[in-house]
Amino acid sequence: MINFRDKNLIPIWEKVQRGNELTFEDGIALFNSHDVISIGKMAHWLQREKNGDAVYFVVNQKIEPTNICVLSCKFCDFAVKKNSPDAYEMTIESILEKLNPELLEVHITGGLHPDWEWDYYVGMVKEIKNHFPRIDVKAFTAVEIDFFSKKFKKSIEEVLLELKEAGLRTLPGGGAEVFSERVRRLLFNQKIGAKRWLEIHKKAHQLGLRSNATLLYGHIETIEERVNHLLLLRDLQKETNGFLSFIPLAFQPGETGIKPRNQFTSAIDDLKTIAISRLILNNFDHIKAYWVMLTEELAAVALNFGADDMDGTVGGERIAHDAGAVSPMQLAKNKLIKIINDANKIPVERDIFYKPVKLHSKNVIGRVSYLNTLPFFKYLDNREYKIFPAPPRQLGFLFKDGNIDAGIVSLVDYFDKENDFTFLPYGIVGNKNVKSVILYSKFPIEDLNKKNIAVTDETSTSFRLLQVLLEMKYGFDVVYIREKISAREKILPNFDAFLTIGDDALKFIKNKPEDFVYSYDLAQLWFDWKKLPFVFAVWAVKKDLPQNKIEVLNKLLDDSLNKFFSTKNNIEEFYTAKLNLNKKEIEDYLNNITYRLGEEEIKSINLFREYYSKLKSKELMVEKF
Amino acid sequence: MLTKDILKKALNGERISNEECLQLLNYNDILELGETANEIRSIKNPENYVTFVVDTNPNYTNVCEIDCTFCAFYRHRNEPDAYTYSVDEMIQKFKDAARRGVTTVLLQGGVNPELPFEYYLELVERTRKEVPEIHPHFFSTSEIIGMSEVSGLSVRDVLIRLKEAGLNTIPGGGAEILSDRVKRKISKKKGTSADWLNVMREAHLLGYKTTATMMFGHIETDEDIIFHLDSIRKLQDETGGFTAFIPWSFKPENTPLEKHIKSFASPYRYLQMIAISRIYLDNFPHIQASWFSEGKKIGQVALHFGADDFGGTLEEENVHAAANFVNKSSTEEVIDLIHGAGFDAAQRDTLYNIIKVFRKGVEVKETV
Ligand code: SF4
Ligand code: SF4
Repeated sequence: MINFRDKNLIPIWEKVQRGNELTFEDGIALFNSHDVISIGKMAHWLQREKNGDAVYFVVNQKIEPTNICVLSCKFCDFAVKKNSPDAYEMTIESILEKLNPELLEVHITGGLHPDWEWDYYVGMVKEIKNHFPRIDVKAFTAVEIDFFSKKFKKSIEEVLLELKEAGLRTLPGGGAEVFSERVRRLLFNQKIGAKRWLEIHKKAHQLGLRSNATLLYGHIETIEERVNHLLLLRDLQKETNGFLSFIPLAFQPGETGIKPRNQFTSAIDDLKTIAISRLILNNFDHIKAYWVMLTEELAAVALNFGADDMDGTVGGERIAHDAGAVSPMQLAKNKLIKIINDANKIPVERDIFYKPVKLHSKNVIGRVSYLNTLPFFKYLDNREYKIFPAPPRQLGFLFKDGNIDAGIVSLVDYFDKENDFTFLPYGIVGNKNVKSVILYSKFPIEDLNKKNIAVTDETSTSFRLLQVLLEMKYGFDVVYIREKISAREKILPNFDAFLTIGDDALKFIKNKPEDFVYSYDLAQLWFDWKKLPFVFAVWAVKKDLPQNKIEVLNKLLDDSLNKFFSTKNNIEEFYTAKLNLNKKEIEDYLNNITYRLGEEEIKSINLFREYYSKLKSKELMVEKF
Repeated sequence: MLTKDILKKALNGERISNEECLQLLNYNDILELGETANEIRSIKNPENYVTFVVDTNPNYTNVCEIDCTFCAFYRHRNEPDAYTYSVDEMIQKFKDAARRGVTTVLLQGGVNPELPFEYYLELVERTRKEVPEIHPHFFSTSEIIGMSEVSGLSVRDVLIRLKEAGLNTIPGGGAEILSDRVKRKISKKKGTSADWLNVMREAHLLGYKTTATMMFGHIETDEDIIFHLDSIRKLQDETGGFTAFIPWSFKPENTPLEKHIKSFASPYRYLQMIAISRIYLDNFPHIQASWFSEGKKIGQVALHFGADDFGGTLEEENVHAAANFVNKSSTEEVIDLIHGAGFDAAQRDTLYNIIKVFRKGVEVKETV
């Protein structure tokens, strides 16, 4: 509930809850509003819908190979000319020296050097990958890509492909500044404009690279220009879905002469810009609070105003005042963890693609990030726990590493940790059928022997169930390949069948994949075979939690289920828009699932456990991302 | 009671209890707290402006024998950088300040046993006479108790004499946290909580107006915080003499206390504290954001979490400067910060009378 001081925001809030896009006018109304708390509450709501209480960071390092630049943008107090005494150039060797095996990401951008050869850039990426295979390379803004293309007479596509070949994974979001011809002419007239920037990122996305986007605000831009910038990014994201995160960057006056040295953006402008970006960019998964620029204190506050990412240990050198055994990076990492915990969020160490590596928090509840867990969480109002949402398989990894105290986890992941965990009498159960674990196939299931099947990279238990069915019921020998499967993209023409689960599977209901004319509900197949319901997930709790805590949780879950199923109109339009289903269809889907475990369910769990342990752990999976 | 019902109750103007306050201190949704506090703030102070005072915060001596473990400012009398200014020197400083537009001098110092009571009286008297543009906002409770010891007069008589000399407001420093358990650990030679409250009570009864402060983020517990808030709320019921409440978080650098504390209070805790004090202290007219201790950005945010006052412009500030947390600011910059937070800026005097309003969007340079 939001108690709006600015009533103009009420229709905007309704749109946000329905999952509708905000308009240009909405953006302006938000920027003009003085109701900072309400804007923050809306953004925080959307942030939690998308990422629960997770706040991401990455152990990363920034490399600026040179400060020599052929351009001289007005707001840049980094670049110098070749003959300047401050000019520097790094060799590949000196770049490698700055890296270490703890890193998961390196961020490379620099000046546009007049003399360097193309081989140098490609070599840099290649050598980093050779020496540090764990480090993912995020390198070269659109400005640099454009420069390479012109200087080395290659198309954008060639430039990007050669870099990708060398090991590049993502492009940083810099160089976007603010998409406005007016501002470009005044401040950086030699630099590429909006059109070219968007074109380069679009090309990158099409070639399978991901990228970030930024907005430089707080100089001479108008709020109209800011909103317009956000809308252009949202449009491109709709087309390509290639952006990982958005980073609003507060302008730092420094010696640029654009603003007095000490005239920083106001904290309120910073928070509003983050919150409004969250609200307008509803198709972006992540919004970053870049702590090095915002100050640690304000970045911490921003984690309740829509930001769910703190960037990383970059800039760690600057806070390393305490000499001693701990590396500056470790210090920076500890600091980030503390800031995020102080803000009552979960510090999630991630890789370049936001895959969680480790959670640094106590009292975390894991949530499979699908609609079907809504009945557990919609009314679960407990502030002792923080909620971490993720697809089953990703949650499983964290669960197995002991990052999670309790939560709804995939059945086989629970099996793997039965020594440490027990389960409460709740789960996600397909009774005869479930509608969201579907095998789509070009052939009838009887003909799938020796065929190639794509398996969504999100599944844990459903994949094992598929294996049990195909191998033990039918006695088939099948090749499985993990793939990202989403209803948005072209469906895998090279496969004979594919397994989709969760919300993605729901999206296919009204959008049947061409060519895959057969579809099988795995819960149905199991029921036909065993005459038992199938338990996909259970509510696991750590055995060493105090008994009273476990009881409290048990009661909370019981209450939330009761409340959910006795309340009308539970389904926000947010979900209908997202899943392309109407309210009735969603209600039917949830009513069809069993959430409480009875005797039949326990029987089924025990039976499946036997099959699971019989599954030869043969290396059938080809991991492909 | 559910937290949201507590908040509703506060919004309806009902007083919340200590147990309810404890619940709020453990409630970490700062946006919910902020929303309620901001609403209450706008009921109590409906104008869309944030007040500030053009002041300076000099010190007349850094000699002190009390040895508070959180204090980076004091020196013992024989240390090389110990200083004590004469009354003449101080008057000269005030004159300079008045020339720069300063209207209030918040003057505090160490508790220096070598200074006679007459020194303090003369300081007040001559300020009133020779620098009438300046409002003297002098002496924390510790110094007043010190004067009582030096002169052999009761606290009440000290306050009467100071009042006759021209003093009518005193700052609320020295409260730290009103918990004798904590005080024994961090300032064992300083007075007890009862001493602080007693000086304040006597002052209010004699017609003084004062502020109240609270320093948190060290070794206090939630219960200590509640005891502190409860004590000042009760005293305010009795006397009505407090103008504003100023919570600020302890800054560990360069202090002996630092060793015992793991880290700064987070900005979250600060915003939570601002909001909770606005919600709990229903009989306090103003809550002050302490931008000089929390940083300018968090100070701005606090203005949306229940604070309606931005404190002083602090033309000179020694106590915090010594703790490596220098944040000097001019009047222009303070007005800018308030505007940046979305409010008009209103210059006030020590008694919270408005002197002049600086509207947003009007070039500050011309108006200062
Ligand atoms: S292109 Fe980049 S490095 Fe070069 S002057 Fe412009 S902002 Fe600076
Ligand atoms: S806080 Fe005041 S009383 Fe305590 S040591 Fe410092 S100057 Fe002396």
